[in-house]
Amino acid sequence: MYYRIIRNDMLKSKLITLTTMIFVAAAAMLVSLSSILVVNLTGAIDTLMTQAKTPHFLQMHSGELDRARFTAFADQNNKVDEFQVLEFLNVDGSRIVINGNSLVDNVQDNGFSTQSGKFDYLLDLDGNRITVSDGELYVPIGYRKDGTAKTGDTAVIGGKTFTVAGFLRDSQMNSLLASSKRFLVSEHDYAEIQSSGSTEYLIEFRLKDLSMLGAFKDDYASAELEGNGPTLTYPLFKMLNAMSDGLMIAVILLVSVLVVAIAFMCIRFTLLATVESDYREIGVMKAIGLRVSDIKKIYLAKYAGIAAFGCMVGFALSFVFKGLLLENIRLYMGGSENSSLALLFGVISVVLVFLAIIGYVSSVLRRFRKISAAEAVRFGISQDKSAGARRFTLSANRLLNTNIFLGVKDVLARTSLYATMLAVLVIASFIMIVPQNLYNTISAKSFISYMGIGNSDMRLDIQQTDHIAAKEAEVARVMESDTSISRYVVLTTETFTTRRQDGSEERLKIELGDHSIFPVKYSQGRGPAADNEIALSVMNADELGKKVGDVITLLIDGKARDLTVCGMYSDITNGGKTAKAAITERSEDRLWSVIYAELADEAVVDGKVREYAERFRFAKVSDIDEYVTQTFGSTISSVGKASQIAIVMMLVISVLVTVLFMRMLVTKDRYSIAVMKSLGFTSSDLRTQYFSRSVVVLIIGIVLGTLLANTLGEILSGAIISSFGASSFTFVVNPLSAYLLCPLMLIGSVLIATMIGTSGAGQITISGNIKE
Amino acid sequence: MNMKKIITGENIEKVYGQGDDWRKVLDGVSAHINDGEFVSVMGPSGSGKSTLMFAMSGMDRIDGGKVTFDGRDLSALRENELANLRRTQMGFVFQQPTLMKNMNILDNIILPSMRDNRRNVKAITEQARTLMKKVGIAELEKRDITQASGGQLQRAGICRALMSNPQIIFGDEPTGALNQEAAQDIMNLFSEINAAGTAIMLVTHDAKIAAKTERIMFMCDGKIVSEMRLPKYSGVDIEDRMEKVMAKMREIGI
Repeated sequence: MYYRIIRNDMLKSKLITLTTMIFVAAAAMLVSLSSILVVNLTGAIDTLMTQAKTPHFLQMHSGELDRARFTAFADQNNKVDEFQVLEFLNVDGSRIVINGNSLVDNVQDNGFSTQSGKFDYLLDLDGNRITVSDGELYVPIGYRKDGTAKTGDTAVIGGKTFTVAGFLRDSQMNSLLASSKRFLVSEHDYAEIQSSGSTEYLIEFRLKDLSMLGAFKDDYASAELEGNGPTLTYPLFKMLNAMSDGLMIAVILLVSVLVVAIAFMCIRFTLLATVESDYREIGVMKAIGLRVSDIKKIYLAKYAGIAAFGCMVGFALSFVFKGLLLENIRLYMGGSENSSLALLFGVISVVLVFLAIIGYVSSVLRRFRKISAAEAVRFGISQDKSAGARRFTLSANRLLNTNIFLGVKDVLARTSLYATMLAVLVIASFIMIVPQNLYNTISAKSFISYMGIGNSDMRLDIQQTDHIAAKEAEVARVMESDTSISRYVVLTTETFTTRRQDGSEERLKIELGDHSIFPVKYSQGRGPAADNEIALSVMNADELGKKVGDVITLLIDGKARDLTVCGMYSDITNGGKTAKAAITERSEDRLWSVIYAELADEAVVDGKVREYAERFRFAKVSDIDEYVTQTFGSTISSVGKASQIAIVMMLVISVLVTVLFMRMLVTKDRYSIAVMKSLGFTSSDLRTQYFSRSVVVLIIGIVLGTLLANTLGEILSGAIISSFGASSFTFVVNPLSAYLLCPLMLIGSVLIATMIGTSGAGQITISGNIKE
Repeated sequence: MNMKKIITGENIEKVYGQGDDWRKVLDGVSAHINDGEFVSVMGPSGSGKSTLMFAMSGMDRIDGGKVTFDGRDLSALRENELANLRRTQMGFVFQQPTLMKNMNILDNIILPSMRDNRRNVKAITEQARTLMKKVGIAELEKRDITQASGGQLQRAGICRALMSNPQIIFGDEPTGALNQEAAQDIMNLFSEINAAGTAIMLVTHDAKIAAKTERIMFMCDGKIVSEMRLPKYSGVDIEDRMEKVMAKMREIGI
């Protein structure tokens, strides 16, 4: 009898058994892949950072540098093992031409370095320190991947010709998320091209022990050494290196959770359908004295078989695909020393998937305990105890067609039965709508005001250059007399020192100027108007613990001055930590300057951008739309792709779940179907009843999903966006797509799935299910 | 007496199973039911009596022979046409009251009629109430099916079968799950229905039930092995009629 039950079940549901196995295999593959990737990634990062001797502490600085002070500090500080100052020659993209193409459109800060002497080595693809000869250029590895350069290409930097000799791994700036990229040239060549760009200093420390980093940071801050650039540390480099691939692993893990959930649902519905159709046999087994655990074993054996086979296939597949996914890690970071561990972790994760499935099957089968042997033998079908929706009676129905009424009534009466399908549809419509709304929002023009950028037409960035004040004045003078420019504003960013509540000092970058001309969106309060007001980005306000109305003390020209926080705004530029003020004093020591302009005629933006770029070579001139596309274009297109994939995935999942659910329902309802048929209800009547059940669940699911998408989804998306520094996030919705097209696609797919899933209802015979 | 035949079965064959594993449950059975006739089918378990009823009512497709209902060949009808026939001209009562869960008793009774005549819900409900009163379950209309006895549910099933004023009611052991008293009540109800002109075909293995019908077909191993006629039952002489039925059963050895 055991064997017959298992065989019959497998034969009856060949397709479902196969589908379940595929999902189990996919889940096992993904989970195994993620653990293999995690082990390899962490190993590869460690290897790279050890080989390259990545600095433990790095201060970036541009402008004058008193090396003697730093050397003295390093010598006196007993935590410092090694210290060095590297030069980084920042060259504008337009002056770097590789294989005939300039990097003018490249958003990275490209710069040149020589090989370091003590640590922070630039490595070749075999992990060795590169020795570079005159005339040779080593290019960051990322440019090989995106096809910008290949070995042997000719490169022209500031008029000097180089040959691309190879590619380098940079343990600091490898990641796409690091905004700077280092090219490697010989010392002789470096001296020759030095006039083509501006020099930045990388002040680097290796400590005797990394655990001293916290204490060292305090020492460094109290020494008040110069440093107008960002400060970076070893853990941050590690995180940056892990981020891109880590995100991929996180996505794979998320997808695998989803796949496991689908596999569970497949198992649940198939299992429940099997239990329903074997109801009498189960009753007989109980009646003849078999223990529940013995009966469970029969079904567990089948799923253990499916799970074991699926897991093995998945594990094997993970080895087929791991090369593909490890390629990126190997390219950027090289090999890992603990790849043998990867195998072990892969096996462990697959075993976990297997155990999770067996555990789940076992928990579904707990219902065996509730089956009454007498009832099962007598009726051969489970008897629903719940009888809800009593007030919804046929005799009082004047509105609905009888078949539709019966469908609606069934859903209302057996709500718990339909809960799983409802949950799937709610999640499906949620996942279909949220990424789509997010895509619409971030690709809408109005979104730039979340980015801390005023809504203008053209933007000039003056940075990494000398005499910024003079240069911005020159641009302003030209704009003033340019009739095609209707409005413009010069915003300069300077660093000020502020005191935190705990007394420690903090360097704050403040954008100064008239913030009323191209205002950003303030989530609270308003922009600074008087010179005793300051607006803080949300991230900065959080970090400083300030809210609107609070007072912040700045050191201006050596004197403390209190400024009132007048507003908070979203900003995703400069790491999200910015401030805006209308202080009139200007020091010569400004970090950078941005000039926004609005044209009288928008149609001439392209021409104007070219004209200003030609005229002010020291400035980076961009069309605002282009700026947005360059800065966030890839993010926007990834979200766009993700939203399309989400829609397809959700439709497939909804179809699969509906087919399985409906098949389970038909098996469960076979007695009612036979009774209906005996009363003269036709197959098309029954189809209408099942359709209306689907439609009721669909409508509730879509409405709930859409509501959740616009509330919870908005909050979640806002949380993601706010992690980059933006707040007060509201969706920009495309109603046609979100409220019409997506629901229609979901309805269409689910109804087709209902048709497929309930096709078995026509084959249910009256005699086979009613005859005594 | 030359009565009109409403159902005629000729050489009906029905096979269960497939491949090497099959069994002929009806082996060339020919039978008929006259208009307004009260017929029962008796026989031991597995003799094919229920299968014959399912075959003659068109609820089950047959593998050989022919069944004609009201002049129409049931084998030639499509599923939907058969369903229409069941809904409008036939009524069914089974051993277990086949009432739908999650519906009260009134809704169960009006269910098949509501499929076609939703707009006449008032008239349909009135008709159902009249029938419920007639069979003595008027007070149960709002009750859930779990709140009624087996006998009451079977009466509700009979009301449902009568809603379309069928030409014939098929009963498959309709008293099989009831106690004696409830069974007698149901049989009296069937007699009343039959007296009003509706033909009835009952499947039973209870001689006392069969004794209340006017023609009994005895089945064994998929064949009708004998038949006997009795005068219309008038409520008396039940012992005598039962004795005759049992004598016949002894005679044919079932």
